[in-house]
Amino acid sequence: MGDYRKLWSDLGMDLEKHDKLCAVLPELYSQVYLTQENRPEGMNYFNFVVAEVHGLRIQELDDHKKDGGKVIGTFCVFVPDEVILAANAIGVGLCAGSQFWVEDGEKVLPRNLCPLIKAFMGAKVGGTCPYFNSCDMVVGETTCDGKKKAWEILDEYVPVHIMDLPQMKKNKDYKMWEDEIKILMNKVEELTGNKITVDSLKEGIKIANAKRKALKRLYDLRKLKPSPISGLDALLISQIAFYDNPLRFTQMLNALCDELDEKAKNLAPDNRKRLMITGTPMAVPNWKLHSIIESLDAQIVVEETCTGTRYFENEVSEEGDTIEELIKNLADRYLKINCACFTPNDGRLEDIIRYTDEYNVDGVIDANLSFCHTYSVEHRDIERGLKEKNIPIMQIETDYSSEDSGQIKTRVEAFLEMI
Amino acid sequence: MSGERFYILFPSYTEGMKLESILKKNNIKYTIVPTPRQLSVSCGISIMYNEDDGDKISKLISDNDVKILGMKSLAYKNKNFYL
Repeated sequence: MGDYRKLWSDLGMDLEKHDKLCAVLPELYSQVYLTQENRPEGMNYFNFVVAEVHGLRIQELDDHKKDGGKVIGTFCVFVPDEVILAANAIGVGLCAGSQFWVEDGEKVLPRNLCPLIKAFMGAKVGGTCPYFNSCDMVVGETTCDGKKKAWEILDEYVPVHIMDLPQMKKNKDYKMWEDEIKILMNKVEELTGNKITVDSLKEGIKIANAKRKALKRLYDLRKLKPSPISGLDALLISQIAFYDNPLRFTQMLNALCDELDEKAKNLAPDNRKRLMITGTPMAVPNWKLHSIIESLDAQIVVEETCTGTRYFENEVSEEGDTIEELIKNLADRYLKINCACFTPNDGRLEDIIRYTDEYNVDGVIDANLSFCHTYSVEHRDIERGLKEKNIPIMQIETDYSSEDSGQIKTRVEAFLEMI
Repeated sequence: MSGERFYILFPSYTEGMKLESILKKNNIKYTIVPTPRQLSVSCGISIMYNEDDGDKISKLISDNDVKILGMKSLAYKNKNFYL
């Protein structure tokens, strides 16, 4: 048990308030994760990362900063990690998945806003997230109205660079996204003092692609019947992918997949229902739905979310000899992500239908964070599209509090009985 | 479900990692876990082990000069955090 209090204090955190968060995590993790039976041994690495979430990784960020490096926070799968890596900066996907931060967020934001936005704002305003306090800059994007306006407030606490994400996928929008990547590149170069070259950008692309391949490998293993890994563990791995050292993460995830390859050979068939989660992201430590659902006779085998397939599907082409060609490759890959912030967004339904087949899914749960309008509106078309294919679907709209947990459990039980 | 869980506490994560590789080499089952609050207010890792392996692990700790803060146990009761 390292003592990181000096480090946190130097980062300007509210130690007393942060201690309340530290007090909850071991019990939460123990009840959600350590009660699972027959977990793969390779999960020990991910247990380690969670246990040291505000410790060792923060120390690594601090060491990097002392060596003159920069730390850049992100909130969205559209922000290209490759650019950050190419400038020898460290990117961290910021956590925003706990009710703990919501109260502080509501001090500066309206209550009827999605919990993810309130939580990230609260984490910064309340001084309880060491990742946030390690950031030299945060990259926001215009994915939804709530986030778009929240940057204006957040910018008073930490410098925010905003990427203007197109809302449609016309030819001009691809051009616009290339321009936005170029602008981000200039900004990151200015911040770090490091010039991004063809070679460094290619290296960044290679690192990000290797991480995507490892995550894809994990998800491919989940297609087996039964899946050799729980939905809870897979979700945790996806969440950790956002802030861990990418090289180490990829190596450890591949080692886990080697173990799962072997484990899968000896698994007895079971009758648990195989479910897909689609919808809004589940930022760490939001394990609520997975924990409730997998306490029943069901296994979550795929997440069509930003903390799931949207994060790793499609690689960036490494072909090209100029920065412009590589930027085009980045724009092409990132605009393949089917997010509800686009109109139209037919690709998402196509993805969901394809996954129901690939992952051998018995039913789909469309899970939306409260007040997330874009995903909530899309539910009608997703439901209609799946019903046409005779795929059972239910919707759950919820936040980070546990007030509705009993009700969710009852509804999922009824859904499982029906399918 | 309820019972007792057994933990090894460390002064730093590096000592924990050192013991982890020794346990792995000796084929002893273990789980890395966040240190329970009841055992220490410092956050960070501990190693959870099976009670039956306690003596064997104690010997490995002293043979290999792994620095630990202690081996402790804690009663637990399983319930879903959200329900």
